[in-house]
Amino acid sequence: MSRIFVTGIGIISPLGDTLSLNHTALKQGHCGISTLELIHSNFAGKLPVGEIKTETQVFKEKLKVKETGYTRNSLLALHAFIDAINDSKLSNKEIASYDTALIGANSVGGMCLTDELYKDANSKSEASEYLSSYDGGSVTLAMQERYGMRGIIDTINTACSSSANSIMYGARLIQNGLAKRAIVGGSDSLAKYTINGFNSLYILSDEICRPFDSERKGLNLAEGAAFLVLESEETVDNKKVYAELTGYCNANDAFHPSSISENADGPFLAMQGALQKANLQPGQIDFINTHGTATENNDEAESTAMIRLFEKVPAFASTKSNTGHTLGAAGAIEAVYSILNLINQEIYQSLQYKNPIPKTSLVPVTAYTKMPINHVLSNSFGFGGNCSSLIFSKA
Amino acid sequence: MSMFYIHQSVCVSAQKTNGVIDLDDIQPIKDNKLQAIEPNYDAIPPAMYRRMGRAVRLASGAALPLLNTLTFNGIVMGTANGGLEDCIKFLNQIVDYNEGKLTPTNFVQSTTNAIASQLAFFSANKGYNNTHVHRGLAFENAALDVGMMLNEFPDNSYLLGGIDEISAYQYNIESLANMYKKEVVLNTELYNSKTAGCIPGDGCAMFAVNKQKTGATAKLKAIGTLHTDKEEDVTQYLKHFIEKNVKDDALNLFLSGENGDSRYLPYYNACKKIVLNVKTEGFKHLCGEYATASSFALWLACYKIKSNNLKNVLIYNNFRGKQHSFMLVGDV
Amino acid sequence: METAALKHQLKEQIIQFLNLTTVKPEDIKDDQPLFGEGLGLDSIDSLELIALLERIYGIKINDPKEGRKILVDVNTMIAYIQQHRTK
Repeated sequence: MSRIFVTGIGIISPLGDTLSLNHTALKQGHCGISTLELIHSNFAGKLPVGEIKTETQVFKEKLKVKETGYTRNSLLALHAFIDAINDSKLSNKEIASYDTALIGANSVGGMCLTDELYKDANSKSEASEYLSSYDGGSVTLAMQERYGMRGIIDTINTACSSSANSIMYGARLIQNGLAKRAIVGGSDSLAKYTINGFNSLYILSDEICRPFDSERKGLNLAEGAAFLVLESEETVDNKKVYAELTGYCNANDAFHPSSISENADGPFLAMQGALQKANLQPGQIDFINTHGTATENNDEAESTAMIRLFEKVPAFASTKSNTGHTLGAAGAIEAVYSILNLINQEIYQSLQYKNPIPKTSLVPVTAYTKMPINHVLSNSFGFGGNCSSLIFSKA
Repeated sequence: MSMFYIHQSVCVSAQKTNGVIDLDDIQPIKDNKLQAIEPNYDAIPPAMYRRMGRAVRLASGAALPLLNTLTFNGIVMGTANGGLEDCIKFLNQIVDYNEGKLTPTNFVQSTTNAIASQLAFFSANKGYNNTHVHRGLAFENAALDVGMMLNEFPDNSYLLGGIDEISAYQYNIESLANMYKKEVVLNTELYNSKTAGCIPGDGCAMFAVNKQKTGATAKLKAIGTLHTDKEEDVTQYLKHFIEKNVKDDALNLFLSGENGDSRYLPYYNACKKIVLNVKTEGFKHLCGEYATASSFALWLACYKIKSNNLKNVLIYNNFRGKQHSFMLVGDV
Repeated sequence: METAALKHQLKEQIIQFLNLTTVKPEDIKDDQPLFGEGLGLDSIDSLELIALLERIYGIKINDPKEGRKILVDVNTMIAYIQQHRTK
């Protein structure tokens, strides 16, 4: 099976709208979590979130979007997509080729327009311009249409592991000979829908989140997008290569709709399977970008799984302490951060951590550290027990 | 890439496709819809059943007979909208209770992956679990995913499904978008309609698939998908698809996804010209139109291959003139 | 309202909120544990019941762990409702 290389990256997150801004913010231990401002909601002015402080209309102008029905989610995705294809120097002909796949991922689709959807679904007003924009597919279709893409196009939604799965799916399309390159990633924008949904489950923190801390109070929702260009070793040629995707695995915890089992079988199997795919021993993993949402359940379960799998748990951190939880975009955004770990041979500290979880006693990396890194494992776990792990290796 | 053999399947639809199959006794539209006849839910534990919205219920009812008798290495679903009804119910709570204290069940059930994960919980299946939501090609991508899994792990078996529900909310949204017929059109008269719009439907088809020929009902030989609104792109793709996959084997049946909507008929007519001497049948008069209706067509192709001793069936479907798919299904 | 009538009403509300279609009010005993072995409810149900208390009885509970102390059985819920209801 072909080796898979990353030749292009595009990212927008609460840490910045370019790869270099994200890198600088991580290096400086910057936290992009602030108070909700741009959504008309009772939570505005109160709830800590990872919000990108750019109005939707400004994105539309910046990205020259004249089409109707573009949601904030589609705009974030398009922003990252454009940066990724430019970074990889793909021509329009290559993008529109039958050999180029596009695999998007998101969990809220166009439901970021919570109020418009409410009116349309209940026939409360004249039709809005977003009638065809509410589903998850609409986000990917907007990019497909703009670039006249003809290859395999897909959208995946496995909640918070969505874009880890889109990266995995793109790699498999290449390895099965169904594409030569794949543009893969995901996006999600903040929405009244998800804010109220996570709030109804009591897993939103009213403070800035504290992954792996004994006093953690829950997660902060966030928004963002990231896309990667994956290419097979045959097409990569003399191109700049960021990293190699060596391992991946998807497993299900098969336990509960919204929490992970005490034994953390799902996370354990996902990490173990990714190691097997990469043909690596646990001891060869230098760093883990954890899912680390800072919910009571996730951090303890993820710690349990790491202890089960690794004789000595490698250095680990949660970049959700910088960005908040970007849901369907998290897998792709954190894949980018894992690649930054590799190309710069450095680890970014986990923020807001004070004391270990008593049951597991694991301590994340709390200071910027330079060290040799060959393999980084990145975890993404979602509702419905959908767990996925990716391994990126030094190219 | 070779795809897979289909062993057992269950189809829940507006027609008599589940249990005693009788496709001649065509069930009519109700309230201008072709809603699936709900299956028997006795096998679903009441503690789980009480939380299920229509989509999860239909999928569970269709999948449980397979999950209870067969072993799968993973579960892959295609659904454009999943539990959209729960989604809007939660949305209505947000508005009606002004973002106050809301009940979480609708939210948890509304995520599109709630279906595949519910099936994993039923069967304690900790294997590969994925949900494709790419609107009119959600099921095709799920099938392709399974095809790749079996290419990578040829000894495995997977549960593949396509599922979408038509709820009152969905009906409102799509009606505003002029997707449904404004006048009453009987499903038995669907193909005589000259107007825009289709008859909405819903349903679920589940397939137990692997690489083992022995005991199989049919084989999914090839699958192809395309995004375009140009007729000539579609016909060119079809010619290439036939050249590459059909070889000298005779095509016995062309299953056409035409849905009575005059706006999308030209794509189907153009394709029919390419398979000129092949018998053509529609299927949307049976299942109605929904984003994963091609899963119904795959079930129908398998059924016809077995009951009519057909060799090869070609399915063409397009969703709103933009997302096109071809599936070649053959005998074993 | 008398305690007996309130109990019956609460049982009906629990059935409605949790969509316990196969359960009748008289099936729920006053001292039967709601969670685990008893009625077999889980963590999501406890959040549904907290919403029930707020919407119908105007009782605000901000920490689900506090909620679990109240949501032991119908008796404990009734005692709490009678003391703390605001509507």
